[in-house]
Amino acid sequence: MMQSLNRGSHEIMIDNMVRFHTGYAQVQDYRFEEEASLDNAFYFDNELENRITATNNRIEMVLPRIQTFMLAGNDYATRGAMVMGIDAEKEHAFNNLKDNLISGEFFEPNDRKAVVTAGLAKRLQLETGDVLVLIGQGRFGMSANALYEISGIVRHPIREMDNQTVYLPLAEAQFLLSADGYITNLLVSTSSDRFTNTITSAIASEIDDEELTVFTWTELIPDLLQLLEFDLVGAYFLAAVLYIVIGFGFFGTILTMTLERMREFGMLLSIGMQRIKLAVVVLIETIFISLLGVLLGMGVAWLFLYYLHLNPIQLTGDVAEAIIEMGWEPILPVSFAADQFYTQGFYVFLIALVVFLFPLVKIFRLNILEASR
Amino acid sequence: MKNHIIKTENISKTYNPDTVPVHALKAVNLEFSKGEFTSIVGPSGSGKTTLLNMLGGLDKPTEGHVEVDGVKITGMKDSKLIEFRLQNIGFVFQHYNLIPVFTAKENVSFIMLLQKRSKKEMEHRAEELLNKVGLGDRMDARPKQMSGGQQQRVAVARALASEPKFILADEPTANLDTSSAMNLLDIMEKMNKEQGITFIFSTHDQRVIDRARRVITMVDGQVHTDEIHKESSSTITENDSQRIDTE
Repeated sequence: MMQSLNRGSHEIMIDNMVRFHTGYAQVQDYRFEEEASLDNAFYFDNELENRITATNNRIEMVLPRIQTFMLAGNDYATRGAMVMGIDAEKEHAFNNLKDNLISGEFFEPNDRKAVVTAGLAKRLQLETGDVLVLIGQGRFGMSANALYEISGIVRHPIREMDNQTVYLPLAEAQFLLSADGYITNLLVSTSSDRFTNTITSAIASEIDDEELTVFTWTELIPDLLQLLEFDLVGAYFLAAVLYIVIGFGFFGTILTMTLERMREFGMLLSIGMQRIKLAVVVLIETIFISLLGVLLGMGVAWLFLYYLHLNPIQLTGDVAEAIIEMGWEPILPVSFAADQFYTQGFYVFLIALVVFLFPLVKIFRLNILEASR
Repeated sequence: MKNHIIKTENISKTYNPDTVPVHALKAVNLEFSKGEFTSIVGPSGSGKTTLLNMLGGLDKPTEGHVEVDGVKITGMKDSKLIEFRLQNIGFVFQHYNLIPVFTAKENVSFIMLLQKRSKKEMEHRAEELLNKVGLGDRMDARPKQMSGGQQQRVAVARALASEPKFILADEPTANLDTSSAMNLLDIMEKMNKEQGITFIFSTHDQRVIDRARRVITMVDGQVHTDEIHKESSSTITENDSQRIDTE
């Protein structure tokens, strides 16, 4: 339950990171990872798009982006900003970006307009219709300065991005940054994370002889994964405590069961049942009981989680407001990841086998006369 | 040429030899022949149950040895001894010791399962034995659904199922009322007389002693008397047979 709630939150976080930041896989110039500069952008056209899309039928689409840091300002203030040239339609298809608009509208591909994120708009006291100044450096040191009308304000689900992002139409951004036809990142989308490695391998084979490289999302945000792993330590600790409790509960049951059956065991050995056969019978019984328990536990847990999925725990107060500000629903999401079911089941089953050592030792050391009394 | 199926040679048993020694058996020499109907009697602590356990290979003597059908069972490896018991010795316990989740028929069949007999043979023999002990109509009953007397009759059928060379019964009537005890004794006596099955009892019960054709009295771990009764005090009659079948 704890792990499911934790992982539910993590899954949303990762989903947002993948959809809004990295994609499931990402193609870059091989130098970009070391030096995230426009100088290390790469040429992107329909031919490259078709080639990459054709590498594996699990690839749904590719999303070109060009991004760099610039100064964004108005009469009131200046802030560092991540300027991102995007194909708004494709972005929306991948991450429903337009649904997060809180005012105005998104630009058309050929507009000379910008959309800023809510956090940045607040810091710069910007509103829809205001003019934003962007000052920075384009590809190969070219000067890049422009004024843009703000067509809309959008809430970005990643707080860090929400505080610093300016969206421009891809062509306009390429023009501003003196990088016509060039992009810095090509995000690749697929229907499920389980295909990430497959599509990454396929793309890697296709672009093997070029100056491009491809990363999985896990390679692009290892820090976040480590942070989430660390966050799970508490849940793992709690699980360990629960495993100990389960272990003792199980041990108590097996202990009682074994002691209650000592006379039966003694009788079976008396009449001619070999100890090894008796041990196998008790092992089968233990496996059967524990499997039944595991399956029942998994079933009940699944039903409970499904109920929470349909009727999620609603957050209230400041926490809820903070969550809403981040663009998420103020609920505690649950995870249905299959591994959390079979992993728990496996551990409980393992505990059962360890606990089985008790009757095993008892059977092999059983004094028939004492047991039969 | 031997004419006995069990022979004990100077068997002694001392418990706690290093602390407070208790001499449960002292140099006991006995022989049992096929077809005996013998009671081992004596006061509590006289060593009769210890002797019975030695005869069944459930306990090992401190000195001396036990031979069953010419095979020395003393010092036999645990797994071999278990196998030997399975093929040669039948047990009837004071507390019946049936498997609670099994039916009467399954309890009887189980020992034949251990002997790896065919399913058909198991079923046939279990039914035959349960009919013989008067439980033909209780084959599918579980121990909890049966009286003490009925459970003990299932235990006798189970002991007979493996076709042992002899049956050891430790206080078989101790928990039974008079009617059930008499009925059980009738069955065992009938099998002894008609089929020559050897029964050796350890008992306090005068009803059992009265039926025995040989009575061994133990006192302080030694054989005090070993008497042969020419004829048991009750003989199986036509009426007894009917009682067995109908009860």
